[in-house]
Amino acid sequence: MLIEILQQTINGLAIGGVYVLIALGLTTVFGILGIAHFAHGSISMFGGYLTYFLMTGYGLPLIAAIPIALAAGVLLGALVEMLAYRPVRHANHINAFIVALGLTMMVEGINLQFFGHEQIVIPTTLSRVFDIKGVTVPELRLYVILSAILLVAAMMIFVEKTKTGQAIRAVAENRDAAILMGVNVTTIPLIVFGISTALGVAAGIMVGALFAIAPGIGEGLVVKGFAVLILGGLGSFPGAILGGTVLGITESIAAGFISSAYKDVIAFAVMIIVLLVRPQGLLGRAP
Amino acid sequence: MLGIRDLRVSYGAIEVIHGVSLDVAAGECVALIGANGAGKSSTLKAICGIVPVRAGSIQFEGRDITNQSGHAIVRAGITMCPEGRQVFPQMSVLQNLRMGAYTRTDKEQDDDLDRMMDMFPILRERQTQAAGKLSGGEQEMLAIARALMARPRICLFDEPSLGLAPKIVAGVFETLAKIKAMGMTILLVEQNSMMALNLADRAYLFEAGRIVMDGPAKELKSHPEVVRAYLGH
Repeated sequence: MLIEILQQTINGLAIGGVYVLIALGLTTVFGILGIAHFAHGSISMFGGYLTYFLMTGYGLPLIAAIPIALAAGVLLGALVEMLAYRPVRHANHINAFIVALGLTMMVEGINLQFFGHEQIVIPTTLSRVFDIKGVTVPELRLYVILSAILLVAAMMIFVEKTKTGQAIRAVAENRDAAILMGVNVTTIPLIVFGISTALGVAAGIMVGALFAIAPGIGEGLVVKGFAVLILGGLGSFPGAILGGTVLGITESIAAGFISSAYKDVIAFAVMIIVLLVRPQGLLGRAP
Repeated sequence: MLGIRDLRVSYGAIEVIHGVSLDVAAGECVALIGANGAGKSSTLKAICGIVPVRAGSIQFEGRDITNQSGHAIVRAGITMCPEGRQVFPQMSVLQNLRMGAYTRTDKEQDDDLDRMMDMFPILRERQTQAAGKLSGGEQEMLAIARALMARPRICLFDEPSLGLAPKIVAGVFETLAKIKAMGMTILLVEQNSMMALNLADRAYLFEAGRIVMDGPAKELKSHPEVVRAYLGH
């Protein structure tokens, strides 16, 4: 029983890491611009597809394909901010919302056009399986968990310790005051979209290696990402990290002990229960 | 140093400043006084590039800064300590102060940080606390220190006494007097006309988006109309 719980926790940490990376991108974008960036999941999957394409089409090894895909993510994120969201920044919020929905359909269409409707799996050579006192830990999952921790830590250090990171926080907390400090509020959203999209691409690669990428996966993931934000507390970094981990482990344990067909039902039921008790989310501030 | 000519500002279709001209010389402390809604704060916001200028010009040290973006104006050497303090509530006191020095690249920022904490010992005591947890008076001190961290050539203060208890207000004005004594050029907007006129060298009286009187603070303080309408005794 204990072994089984530990086993599912390890599994849950891997998928939880994916959720945390998606949610961190969403929460940063939401904090700066107040935009529910629905296209985030589809763009993340584009990154996964791109990695696969670089490997199978150009024969690049995974280790070379990943940095290229991440760089493409930064560029793509900046383009999305400039071309899709910037024109509606001063308009009614519903406009950005509609842009987000339209962008999702567009990116899904592009994915379908370029990469087809067949599901793809990013091939890796990480096939060893460790056995730690009865708990089996596949090498790939371990690397996914470690990379997720590394990326989250890097993001936290960036936001807390660098000037640009502090400016991002300042804009999120008080935009007008940030302008008075001399922060350029035109370039900050560009940087935020670049970084967020790169984190999303990392999540897309993880999904592609752990499971598979197929049309519609990205949309499902973005819904989970927003669920994590609400669960953890909107606008809270630690909340997104905790929320993503909790959602991943809950899903995993539900799949292991009850049925994998009901894992989403159970995960969302847990979310609803948490919100009934703490409407502001696990780490959100009471209004 | 700062020269404003025929400034007009409107919010949507409604013009709130109808052609205002004023000057601030280097080292001077100038107060803008007048009733709520007379256009004092809007004038400051126009200088900082937060609200657009519809007509007229703003010159700073011989450069035209009319309608430049807010961050460019900070880099030019103008900093504002905004109305309502506007600290970054979830960032620590220290992080707030460092944000004040955002445009700086010199190596003396830590020295300045030390100086600010000597000037406001409460900020040293609370440096790791979230700024939102400070009292109103402490937040005002933080906002003032944060503005000074930019090493501005002119510092604009927008209603620094607003919403503070009388005892705290006296402390804020003592601080402003200290900053003035350090040689900082100050443009102060204040509804507490008596306090403002006691501190300032010169003052402009605003009424309904226009300047109706200006001169040395001492003269305005004893002008019968100012006494009747704004000093209330």
